[in-house]
Amino acid sequence: MNDKYLTVSQINKYIKYKLDTDDNLRIVYLKGEISNFKNHTSGHLYFTLKDEKSRILAVMFKSSASKLNFTPKDGSNVLVVGRISLYEANGNYQIYVEEMLEDGVGNLYVEFEKLKKKLGEKGYFDENIKKPIPRFPKRIGVITASTGAAIRDIITTINRRYNLAEIILFPCLVQGENAKDDIVKNIRLADTYNLDTIILGRGGGSIEDLWAFNEEIVADAIYNCNTPIISGVGHEIDFTISDFVADLRAPTPTAAAELAVPNKQELLVLIKQYKQRTMKSIINILNTNKKRLEYLLNSYIIKNPGTIYEVKMQKVDLLIEKLLMYSTNILDNKSYKFVSLIEKLEALSPVKTLKRGYSITKVENNIITDIKKIKRGMILKTELENGIITSEVMEVKNEK
Amino acid sequence: MKNKEENKLSFEENLDSLEKIVKALENGDVPLDEAIEKFNEGMKYANACNTILEEATKTVTKAIDKDGNLKEFDISESE
Repeated sequence: MNDKYLTVSQINKYIKYKLDTDDNLRIVYLKGEISNFKNHTSGHLYFTLKDEKSRILAVMFKSSASKLNFTPKDGSNVLVVGRISLYEANGNYQIYVEEMLEDGVGNLYVEFEKLKKKLGEKGYFDENIKKPIPRFPKRIGVITASTGAAIRDIITTINRRYNLAEIILFPCLVQGENAKDDIVKNIRLADTYNLDTIILGRGGGSIEDLWAFNEEIVADAIYNCNTPIISGVGHEIDFTISDFVADLRAPTPTAAAELAVPNKQELLVLIKQYKQRTMKSIINILNTNKKRLEYLLNSYIIKNPGTIYEVKMQKVDLLIEKLLMYSTNILDNKSYKFVSLIEKLEALSPVKTLKRGYSITKVENNIITDIKKIKRGMILKTELENGIITSEVMEVKNEK
Repeated sequence: MKNKEENKLSFEENLDSLEKIVKALENGDVPLDEAIEKFNEGMKYANACNTILEEATKTVTKAIDKDGNLKEFDISESE
C-alpha cells in the first residue's frame, strides 16, 4: 500500500524533471511588475513578478544580475528572459532570470536601434559629410540647460583652455516631453548666429532622460545644421542618435568643450617652438651665406687679385715693347734715309765739286753748258771755291 | 597704417602666417635679404600670437534670452 505513496522529494524531483524537459519552458520571455524585491548579500536577486491577476516567483543569480544596466526595485515594470524550473527545497516553481530590461525602456531600445538603422541607411552618419571642427573658434554656441553641471563644465573648460572664444548659450530644455522641439528650435536658431562651432550638451542620465537626443527630428536638425556640431550628451558609455549624427562625438560635456577649443598652454608652447625654429632657420641661413662668402673670399682670384690683371699687364708690356720696337725701326729707317739723302744732296752740291778743282763758268749769270753759245770776246765769270775770276774769251773751239 | 592692420589679425591668421614663414625659412632656399625680412615678420607674428593669448582674460559668456537678446551670462548666478 505504502508503495503507492511518493515522497515529497520524489514528486518535486519529478515535477522539476517535467519542467526542465519542457521546451516551452526552457526559454521564456516574460513581462511583469517587480514586487517583494530582495537583493541578497550573496548578490542574487529574489523577487516576484506579477500582473493584475497573477504572480510568479523569480530569482536572478549574481552572474546574471551583474549585467543589469538599471537598478530593479518594487514597482518596476520589466521584461525578463529565463527558464522555468522548480526549487525542490520549497516546492516553488520559479523563473530563473538570465536577462532583465526595464519595460518601456525595452521598447526604447528597439526604437533606438530602428532609428539608428534607418538614419544610417540614409547616410546621416557618413564620415565624409562630417564637417571639420574649426581649430580656433571665435564664437561657440552651447545648446544645453542654463543650469546644471553641463553648462558649468563647458564654461569652465573653455575658460581654462582657450579664453579667446566667446560662448553663446542657447538655454534649452534637455529632458521631458518638450525637450526635442526645444532642441530643434535652438539648433536652428544657433545656426543663424554665425557661430564657429555648436556644442550640444547634456549631463548623464537614464535612457529616458536622454531620450530627446534620440528623436528623429533632433537628428534631422543636426543633419541639416550648417554649423559644425559637437555632441556631448550623457556620460561616457551613453550613446545617443545625436552623437552619431553630430560632426564630432564627445563622451561628456567637458570633453565636448575640450574638443571645441585648443589648449592655450599648448599654443604658447607651439609658438615658442615656432620662434625657436625661426631663429634656428635664420641662423642656418646666415651661416650658409657666411660660408659662401668665406668660400668666395678664400678663392684664388680674391686672394690673388693681381692675377686678374697680371696677364693683361703682360700683354700691355708686350704691346709696349712691340710698339717701341716698331717705332724705333721706323725712326731708324727714317734717319737712315735722311742721312743717305743728305749724302746724296752733298754729292750733288757743286761746292764739293769745286773743292775737288772743278769750277763753274757763267756768262751773264748763266752757267755755260753748251759751247755753241759762247763767242769770242764774251766776258766769262769763273767761280772757284774761294773766288771768282773774270776773263775774256779768246778762242772758241767746237770739239764735238 | 600697416601696423594697425596687422594688429587686427586674428590669432589664427597670425599663427597661419607664422607657420608659413617657419616652413619657408626651414626650406632654406630663401635669399638672405628675404630671409631676414621673413625672420622679422615671423617674430612679429609670434609676438602677436603671444599677445593675443596673454591678453585674453576670461571667456565672455552670453545667453540668448526669451526675446532673442544676448545678455551677459554668469554661471554662478544661474545656480
